[in-house]
Amino acid sequence: MGVPTAPMTTMRFAELVHNYAYSKGMPNERFTFVPHPVTGMPAATCREYLLGKDPISGKPVIDSVVEALTKPLSDDDMKTGQIERPVERFLQPDTEENLHRLFLENGLTDGLPIVVPTQERVEAMLAATSHKPDEIVGKMQASSPHPAWSYTVEQVAVNAVMAGCDPEYFPVVLAIASTGVPALFTSTTSFTRAVVVNGPIAKEIGMNSSTGAMGPFNHANATIGRAWTLMSKNLDGGGKIGETYMGSQGNNLNYNNICFAEKEEALPEGWSPFHVQKGFKADESVVSLFNGWGLIRPDTSFSKDLAPQMPYWLQFTPFTSATLYLDPVVVRQLVSEGFDTKEKLSQYIFDNSKLTAKSFWGDYYHVQNFILPNAKKGTEPYASWLKLADDELVPRFRDPQRINVLVVGGEMNLFWQASDLGYMVSASIDKWK
Amino acid sequence: MRKLMGLLLALALLTSFLAGCGPQPTPVVVKETVEVPVEKIVEKTVEIPASEQLITVHNPSGNPPPIELVPMAPRLDTLDGKTIYIVDVGFTDTHQLFTEMASIMGEKYPKTKFEVRTKAGTYFDNDPALWDEVKAKGDGMIMGVGH
Repeated sequence: MGVPTAPMTTMRFAELVHNYAYSKGMPNERFTFVPHPVTGMPAATCREYLLGKDPISGKPVIDSVVEALTKPLSDDDMKTGQIERPVERFLQPDTEENLHRLFLENGLTDGLPIVVPTQERVEAMLAATSHKPDEIVGKMQASSPHPAWSYTVEQVAVNAVMAGCDPEYFPVVLAIASTGVPALFTSTTSFTRAVVVNGPIAKEIGMNSSTGAMGPFNHANATIGRAWTLMSKNLDGGGKIGETYMGSQGNNLNYNNICFAEKEEALPEGWSPFHVQKGFKADESVVSLFNGWGLIRPDTSFSKDLAPQMPYWLQFTPFTSATLYLDPVVVRQLVSEGFDTKEKLSQYIFDNSKLTAKSFWGDYYHVQNFILPNAKKGTEPYASWLKLADDELVPRFRDPQRINVLVVGGEMNLFWQASDLGYMVSASIDKWK
Repeated sequence: MRKLMGLLLALALLTSFLAGCGPQPTPVVVKETVEVPVEKIVEKTVEIPASEQLITVHNPSGNPPPIELVPMAPRLDTLDGKTIYIVDVGFTDTHQLFTEMASIMGEKYPKTKFEVRTKAGTYFDNDPALWDEVKAKGDGMIMGVGH
């Protein structure tokens, strides 16, 4: 832009912003830091912060800001050119024990033991796809400010080996990688992801869609989901706490990202498999990815109709999403209540989960951070909703399509789970065979 | 004394002759068989425990793009007589930091004009109109702050 700038942020973001400035080619950018957090602090506290010292540099905050604007530039500050960042294909040979330690200490794992990616194992993985090892699969970035890294089929195979995948799972892992979506996202709110597999491959590789499908009971479910997290750490430099991962509490679901197969054989007539809802053919094998925070297990009564009880349990933050994980027993109950398609159920929940304008605008951080600024900018329909009376109703979900329905489970009981995860993208697995 | 010196010189010459400094005798070659003990070579397999074997593994990293260095904008020689924009990126409940900043800076630099702005949209959104304004009317910018 050509205008001298003094950027400021809070002290907890020091590593992140220095790392980011470096990757954007301005390694000497002059940041000033104030104590953390600022959000919600009264003006008097903010004034105290500004009249105090930068907790990172120890300089008075105002002096640091003025120095950022006025201190003459050094030769380094005005450098142009390019910094190459080549990556070696192999690591230095070492004993297996030392390599395990090296992977762990350098943040290349999820903290659990890995399968060390020897040439032999990686070759076996590569044999499970027709694609060449040096083909670029995609690009991934730890989050939107970070630069995207590219990766090859071989580099994806290395991570699949590390996660413990059998070679026959490799096309599924490649399909996930092809989306460029990282499993670990840097948001301070600690996202998780989910990955759902549809189509013939689920049975071919022995994925679980029945009893315990969402738990630690199946090799394919476990390792495919884990491979996504390892790819997210290694293929895009993500998951480095303080630099590319800022989730304040983290999310345990990221260990394997709720990976399972939809139980297509239990779908009643009229209920389409999820990938078919997204425009794929029934006989195609597809991964679908989701994003959100967590799962709940609603305590619905067996003696009443089920659908009317659902909106109560889905009072999630407005304008996030919902994904329902319905046991086939629950599906049969819903069909008996007249829901002969997934879409009808989504529409019913959409229509019956509205909230008052007062609550919408007043109770939710998500709304205040992401919707209110757009409403103030004049974006419709939010701008009009700002003018509603307090007791008028607005939708909790952006549209019925944001309420996803998946069928999974062993028909043990009339239970279901739900999450605030929203659908992101689907990708063909067949393309990567 | 002269006789003594001559005697010593003659003695030195004789000593050096006897020590080999004079003409050398022709060497006599004598062939001799010397038996050198030869160690018997025995092939022996030494097992290196698996834990000590060196193995080569692939690097799991993807490929970071090269970094294009961007020169920083020229700095100001003074704030006096300048217009400095104070830009709030729009994170929830942080605007008070910027109004306080404008107040403190205004007291400390009375000859400088400070303009407080909030970036339009969410803190993720770009605001090209604001950047155009800063470029056209501003000499510098203070921007923050996040959480």
